[in-house]
Amino acid sequence: MSEAGPTFSESDGQGLVEGFARVVAVEGGQVWLEPEQSSGCGGCHSAGLCGIGAAGGNAAKMAAKRFQLPAALGLRVGERVVVGIGETTLVKGAATAYGVPLITLLAGGILGQEAAGTDAMAALGAVAGLGLGLGLAKIIANSLSARGVLTPRFLRRAYTPPPEAGCHTEHG
Amino acid sequence: MQHYLLLFISAALVSNVVLMRFLGLCSFMGVTTRVDTALGMGASTTFCITISAMIDWGVDRFLLEPYDLGYLRTVAFILVIAAAVQFTEAVVRKVSPTMFQLLGIYLPLITTNCAVLGVNLLLVEGKMNFIESTVFALASSLGYSLVMVLFAGLRERLALANVPRLFAGPPIGFITASLLALAFMGFSGMSTN
Repeated sequence: MSEAGPTFSESDGQGLVEGFARVVAVEGGQVWLEPEQSSGCGGCHSAGLCGIGAAGGNAAKMAAKRFQLPAALGLRVGERVVVGIGETTLVKGAATAYGVPLITLLAGGILGQEAAGTDAMAALGAVAGLGLGLGLAKIIANSLSARGVLTPRFLRRAYTPPPEAGCHTEHG
Repeated sequence: MQHYLLLFISAALVSNVVLMRFLGLCSFMGVTTRVDTALGMGASTTFCITISAMIDWGVDRFLLEPYDLGYLRTVAFILVIAAAVQFTEAVVRKVSPTMFQLLGIYLPLITTNCAVLGVNLLLVEGKMNFIESTVFALASSLGYSLVMVLFAGLRERLALANVPRLFAGPPIGFITASLLALAFMGFSGMSTN
């Protein structure tokens, strides 16, 4: 779980990747939020009304994605909020989670191929490189999390649709 | 080493998986409305294509070819791709739950991305060894990511442009994609043989 991060001021709202989250609990001076399941295309921001978003959200998976914000924000359970992360955070996250293991995988594979000249050694080198890269990625991710780089920040309250509302987009 | 470099340039730019081979067009049009979603999708796809290519190379070399099961190739590769996506999801969640929040939403889309299957089938066609197939898969997927991010940047600017009503939305998107494909055709002048 991520550490609670500070909120952005209005002027900080520039250069942020925004997303929606719903308050699921307020306890111990912290607000727990679950990010709303949205489609990967990011084209639809009405996940609160969207049946696809609701059906796609496995309860256990969603619980694993919970994060905290300070209770001083005065948020109530069930409220929808807009949270954001810095634009560079996604790049750093992708480079760490995917880039580092891929580089070590390729380096290990090429080393194995050049050293022994067989496919078996190349494959072994690649798998070893992948394992090393995943370990490195975990260390870097922990370091980024400890510095609060990956923590979503509260931006503003969002519209909370009534329970009987349905999705009425042009695209169904 | 030069051989790998040429293979890399050839797969990423000259024979770009989206603009030259026309694979992954659904995600190319669907996930490129914003640069950040295109970047997340591109990074996730790059990882999954590379991992699945490694496994598929082994499946084809040690299982399908020796036992003359070539007719099961597509089914077997789809199964491997689905497993690779699940593996990637587990890895990202283990590496950092926060990163899983950021990047996890793109993973289910990759299972049905034809670019992943297409690259794996191209590897078999190319009769490559292990490291060549890994370099080819990585380069192809990086080429895919490059085009996704470029196109997303163009579409973000198009959203602010004064486009005639009949061309607004997907039509101007397709016109822009065709111009981008023409630009990438310039790379075909590079000899990588």
